[in-house]
Amino acid sequence: MVDYLWNTQSPLQKALVPGRHGAAGAHVGVTLNEVRDIVLVQVMARRGKAADAAKAAKKLFGIEAPATPKAVTGKTATLIWSGPDQFTVIAPRTDEASQLAAMVQVFAGSASLSDQSDGRCLIRVSGPRGRDAIAKFSSLDLHDLAFPVGAAANTSVDHTAVNLWREANGADGHPVYNMLVFTSFADSLWHTVVDSSLEYGVEAASARAA
Amino acid sequence: MRIACPFCGERENGEFTYLGDASPKRPNFAVDSGESPEGVEDAFYDYVYLRDNVAGYMREYWYHGGGCRSWLIAERNTVTHEFRSVTAAPGVGAAKPVQAGE
Ligand SMILES: [Zn+2]
Repeated sequence: MVDYLWNTQSPLQKALVPGRHGAAGAHVGVTLNEVRDIVLVQVMARRGKAADAAKAAKKLFGIEAPATPKAVTGKTATLIWSGPDQFTVIAPRTDEASQLAAMVQVFAGSASLSDQSDGRCLIRVSGPRGRDAIAKFSSLDLHDLAFPVGAAANTSVDHTAVNLWREANGADGHPVYNMLVFTSFADSLWHTVVDSSLEYGVEAASARAA
Repeated sequence: MRIACPFCGERENGEFTYLGDASPKRPNFAVDSGESPEGVEDAFYDYVYLRDNVAGYMREYWYHGGGCRSWLIAERNTVTHEFRSVTAAPGVGAAKPVQAGE
């Protein structure tokens, strides 16, 4: 009998070609990163238990769970609003089993959990022209006043569901946006993002979540 | 056309799906304390098939499938496409379940 081994690989295994793309020159306009090794859990409060679920989130992560479209970062995870009385927990993968077990314990009875760790792909867009690139394919208003640091949105990009949120500005002082997409659509979205960014000069890479 | 989702804010209408008139109520004879068999049939026929063709404001179901995946009820002017209000449909999120006859 032939032993069969599941081969875990990124959904961008083929699409992501590390290095420089598009416009050449000294400046990189858009930096694209696939952020790998994440733990991702969808948390949905049960009927009439939204307050209990929020209390549980506070206990485990030390922050108020977002009740409006926002992303808030706590001790060990970032909580991203993903709908009324639900949010997504994202954390760097350290010890997945114990990370999940801690959540199962604290949310018991107040919320339903759905492990999406290998179901979504996280693409990070940064650099001086990152916002311009996103503006080509997103209908959201990304102006600082409308979409400041910490803002989040469930939206559609190219008819594909995307969770988009803005984290603290990068070291270069420019905005940093995160896009979560279903793994099966990641390849397609990646090409959309790259195509939109080429004219600004792209630096592409993958990185472990930190 | 842009629709102001009560949860997500204003979004393009491509993120939403139109689901029709929100006014018809499913006949509930346990609550309405019973009617004749003909009355039941007529009430269901009305509920399933008959719709008003409103020129002006009507209450409509819209689904924010390209966003927060919530069912919404909007008051929209069918002549001007002006939205007067957009609210969550009963039972959205972890709110209490809809009561019979609601
Ligand atoms: Zn919405």
